[in-house]
Amino acid sequence: MGDRYSFSLTTFSPSGKLVQIEYALAAVNKGVTSVGLKGTNGIVIATERKSHTPLLEDNSIEKVSTICRNVGMVYSGMGPDARILLDKARKSAQEYKRVYLEEPSVMIMVKEIASIMQEFTQSGGVRPFGVSLLIAGFDETGPSLYQVDPSGSYWAWKASAIGKNMINAKTFLEKRYSETMELEDAVHTAILTLKEGYEGTMVESGIEIGIAYLENTTTKEGDKIQQGRFKKLSEPEIKDYLANL
Amino acid sequence: MGGNIEHRFSPYTDNGGTTLAIAGEDFCVVAGDTRQSEGYLINARYSPKVYHLKNNAVLATGGMHADGVALVKRIGQNLDWYVHKHEKQMSAPALAQMLSTILYSKRFFPYYVWNTLGGLDENGKGCVFSYDPVGNFEKQHWSCSGSAGHLIQPFLDNQIGHKHQSNVEHHLLPLDQVLKIVKDAFNGATERDIYTGDFVEIFIITKDGVTVQKHDLKKD
Amino acid sequence: MSIMEYNGGAIIAMKGKGCVAIAADRRFGVQALTLGTDFQKVFPATDKIYFGLAGLATDVQTLSEKFRMKVDMYHLREEREITPKTFAHMVSSTLYEKRFGGYFCFPTIAGLDAKNEPYICNMDGIGCITTPNDFVVSGTAENQLYGMCEALWEPDLEPEDLFETISQALMNGVDRDAISGWGGIVHVITPEGVITRTLKGRMD
Repeated sequence: MGDRYSFSLTTFSPSGKLVQIEYALAAVNKGVTSVGLKGTNGIVIATERKSHTPLLEDNSIEKVSTICRNVGMVYSGMGPDARILLDKARKSAQEYKRVYLEEPSVMIMVKEIASIMQEFTQSGGVRPFGVSLLIAGFDETGPSLYQVDPSGSYWAWKASAIGKNMINAKTFLEKRYSETMELEDAVHTAILTLKEGYEGTMVESGIEIGIAYLENTTTKEGDKIQQGRFKKLSEPEIKDYLANL
Repeated sequence: MGGNIEHRFSPYTDNGGTTLAIAGEDFCVVAGDTRQSEGYLINARYSPKVYHLKNNAVLATGGMHADGVALVKRIGQNLDWYVHKHEKQMSAPALAQMLSTILYSKRFFPYYVWNTLGGLDENGKGCVFSYDPVGNFEKQHWSCSGSAGHLIQPFLDNQIGHKHQSNVEHHLLPLDQVLKIVKDAFNGATERDIYTGDFVEIFIITKDGVTVQKHDLKKD
Repeated sequence: MSIMEYNGGAIIAMKGKGCVAIAADRRFGVQALTLGTDFQKVFPATDKIYFGLAGLATDVQTLSEKFRMKVDMYHLREEREITPKTFAHMVSSTLYEKRFGGYFCFPTIAGLDAKNEPYICNMDGIGCITTPNDFVVSGTAENQLYGMCEALWEPDLEPEDLFETISQALMNGVDRDAISGWGGIVHVITPEGVITRTLKGRMD
C-alpha cells in the first residue's frame, strides 16, 4: 500500500479529492477526441474512428450510438465502460417509455446516466467509469447537448469537446461557433474541429457523426407530426460532407 | 369407466330486444326493435315483438320470443271470448288486469316475458302498463324494458317526465315530439346494446285506430 | 355481488369545443346503506387534468394519493407539467403493475393538453385505455349513463352547454341507479380555468 488513501476506491483524500475520479478523467483525456455542437435546428456529435492497423474492420467500431429514438451519445475514454453505460441508458429509456408511452426528454436521460456514473464514485467495490459522454437529443424543448463526466457532473453546452485534443478543439470551437448556425453548418464545423487534431487524411470511414433533428412523420392515425429524432450519418452521407468542406 | 351422463333441458332463453311505451293526452305510443338474438347470434333482423291486438291496445313483449308468441295467442283468444260474451271490445285497462291474471296463473312456470301494454283508457286518454313475468304491474306515463331498458329509462325520465329540468313547464308532450324522442332513444340504445338494432317499429294508438311506422336502426 | 358494486358511484367525462368536463356523484355507501353524501371521486392531477375513480372506495383513496405522488414526482423530475396522454399511460402502467390482484378501480381522465386540445379516456381495472371522441362513463350507473350520453351529447359544445349536458346526463342517470347519486359535482376544464359546480339531487 504505497498510498494510504488508496485502500478504498471511494474514500476522500485529506485534501478533499476523490483521486479515482481524477484518474478516470486522466483516462478520458487519453481517449480519442469527440466534439458536439448545437445548431439552431439540431445537434451534431462526432468523433474519430481510429484504428491503429489497416487490418481492422473499420465498421466493427461504433462510438456514436443511439440511446432511444430522439437521443444519442458519443464517448471519449474507455470503450468497454461506455458500452456498459450505453446498455444502462438504453434500458432506462425503454423503462421510461413503458410507463409513459413517450420518449424521455434529453434532460431525463442525462440525469439518469449521470446518476449511474455518480453511483460508481460512492459505492463499494467499484471504480468510476473511464469515460466522458456527449449526449445529444431533440425533445419538445428543442435541441440540446450535454456533457457528462466520470464524477457524474453534467453541463449543457452550445459546443464542447472531450478527449485527447479537447483543449485545442475547444479553442477552435470558441472561434468558429455561432449561435445562428444551422445543423448543416454545425456538421461542417464539427468535421473541421476534428480535422484540427486528425492525423493523416480524413476519409468517411475515419469518423463517426450523429445528428439530432426534427423529423416529419405520420402517426398510426395518419396525422402529420414533427418528432425529435437521433440518427447516425451513413458513410456516403459523411463522404458528401467531406467533399463539400 | 365414465360416470353417468346427465342431460338437461333449459326451457328458457332470452332473445333480447328493447321495448318502450309513452302515454300522451289523447294517444299512446308503443315501440320495440325487431332484432331477435340468442347470445352473440342474431336469429332474425325482422321479428316483431310488438303486437297490435284486436281491441286496439298494443302489447310489447320482451324476453323469450316463443313465450311472447304463446302469450299473445292466448290473449287473442281471450279477447275473442270477451267479444262473444259481452258484445264489445275489451278496454285497455280491463286487458291490463286480465294480462296480470294470466301471467300470475303461471306463477310457478312463468311466461319469460316482460310486457308493456299501451292503449287508450275509458276517457280516451293514453295509458301505459308495465309488467314483470309473473304479473306484477303498474300504470305509468312512460315505461321501457328489455336489454337496453337501463339505457333508455333515464332518458325518458328526463325528456318525457322533465326530471331535473326546473325551468320548464311540465306538460304532456305532443305526438310529433314523442316520436322524435322514441327514435332518439332507440338510436342511442342501438349504439351501445348489441341486442337492440335492425329496425324499430312504432305503434301510434289514437281514437281513430292504430298506425305503424317502421324505421331503420343500425344493423351492426 | 361484485366488489365493483360494493360502494357504488358514477363518473362521466365529455369532450366539448376547446374544453372538457368531468362529473361524478357524491355518494359513499356500503351496499344499500348510504353513509356519506360528500365523497370525493374526482381529483385534480394538474391545473388542466382531472381524474375520476369509480369502484371500491378504499382503492379510490389509495390510488388518488398514489397518482398525486406520482404527478408531483414527475413535476419535480421533469421540470414540466404532465400532459393528459402521458398521465393516462402512467395511470395505466400503475394499474397493470398489479395485473394479478389489482385495484378495484376504473379510472376516467379528462384534460386539456399543451395545445389546449381536449383529451378524455377511461380504462378498466388493469389499465386498458379507451380514448373515444365523445364521452366516457364508468361506475355502477354505467348503463344509464351510456343511454343518457348517447342521446344528449353532440359535438362542439361550448363550456356552458357542455356543463348542462353532462349535468343532465349525470343526474338523470344516477336517479335510476340505487347506489349512485346523492348530489353531484361537475368540473368543466377550459383554457381560462376550471369551472367547478356542485349539483343538488334526490337524496333517496
